[in-house]
Amino acid sequence: MFSYKKMLQYPINIKKKDLRMAKYLVTQYGGANGELGAALRYLNQRFTMPDDRGKALLTDIGTEELGHVEMLETMIYQLMKDATLEEIKDAGLDAHYAEHAKALFPTDANGVPFTTTYFATTGDALADLSEDMAAEQKARAVYENLIDLTDDPDVIAPLLWLRQREIVHYARFKELFEYYQNKDKPKVDTNVNYSDEFMEGFFQQLPVNDLIMNRRF
Amino acid sequence: MNYYSMRNSSYLFRPTEGYDVGNLFQNLYDEYKNYKPRKLEGRNEKEKAYLELSRIAFAMHEVNLYLDTHPDDRMMIQLFNDYRKMYIEMEEKYENAYGPITTCSNAMEGVPFAWVEKTFPWEVN
Repeated sequence: MFSYKKMLQYPINIKKKDLRMAKYLVTQYGGANGELGAALRYLNQRFTMPDDRGKALLTDIGTEELGHVEMLETMIYQLMKDATLEEIKDAGLDAHYAEHAKALFPTDANGVPFTTTYFATTGDALADLSEDMAAEQKARAVYENLIDLTDDPDVIAPLLWLRQREIVHYARFKELFEYYQNKDKPKVDTNVNYSDEFMEGFFQQLPVNDLIMNRRF
Repeated sequence: MNYYSMRNSSYLFRPTEGYDVGNLFQNLYDEYKNYKPRKLEGRNEKEKAYLELSRIAFAMHEVNLYLDTHPDDRMMIQLFNDYRKMYIEMEEKYENAYGPITTCSNAMEGVPFAWVEKTFPWEVN
């Protein structure tokens, strides 16, 4: 189960309204590489992870992503809340206003509503974790694009922080991926085997076998 | 904290710096262009206490994620438990002074119901 903690994972206090930025930021809330998709991706995939290590990591990162959803919602809410109707129209958010007024609604930056097609579950740990690693990298790249689009330090600070979280999550998913990849593989003995039995077999495979083995000195 | 000297001293950020950058692991830290992370500071006692609580919660969470993929690292399990104990103590102090963070808090005993009284974290302050 989940329970609520009355805290943001990182504090957000945006004093300056900026509708244009709200319109871009929404993609990390309800877009293809956004936090809502991330949370649902991990919280669904965790059920079929092959062991408790995977179940723990996907539960913990998936839960953190829910906290990131809340951070993005907070940023969009604070950027929009003091806007006038004129400003909303000028920023091209009139279509959003028609349906939602100033309420939050998960879409991408073009207004396309959130869809579950943004994530997959295959039941295969390596396939799922590959997707998760890619998702973290894509989210990192989008955070960088968003940082480039603003000069408000109150917006940049949480975006830099969220970008860093993608890097940590990527590293942890990669560790888990490599652990699963190597876990069931038989240990490859890279030492040269010089036992008599092996050497006999080895020489018998050689085309020059007859020459060597039957050679009389 | 003496863990930093017990382990490779360049390995972990302290909770304050780690929280500012959003990453407790120095080897994973990756800067973007010339941007510097904000140095977070509380403007009053309440904000300072809240920040301190956030820092320890974050440090604990970071070690938690690490332990999910390194469950046999004794030193880090010890560090996790030290952060955990600090967190429990600090959370109780904070809640008694400024109101509940979770509904399990002792600060829930007053009338009116304290959960609806205190502001939610998405409001600007």
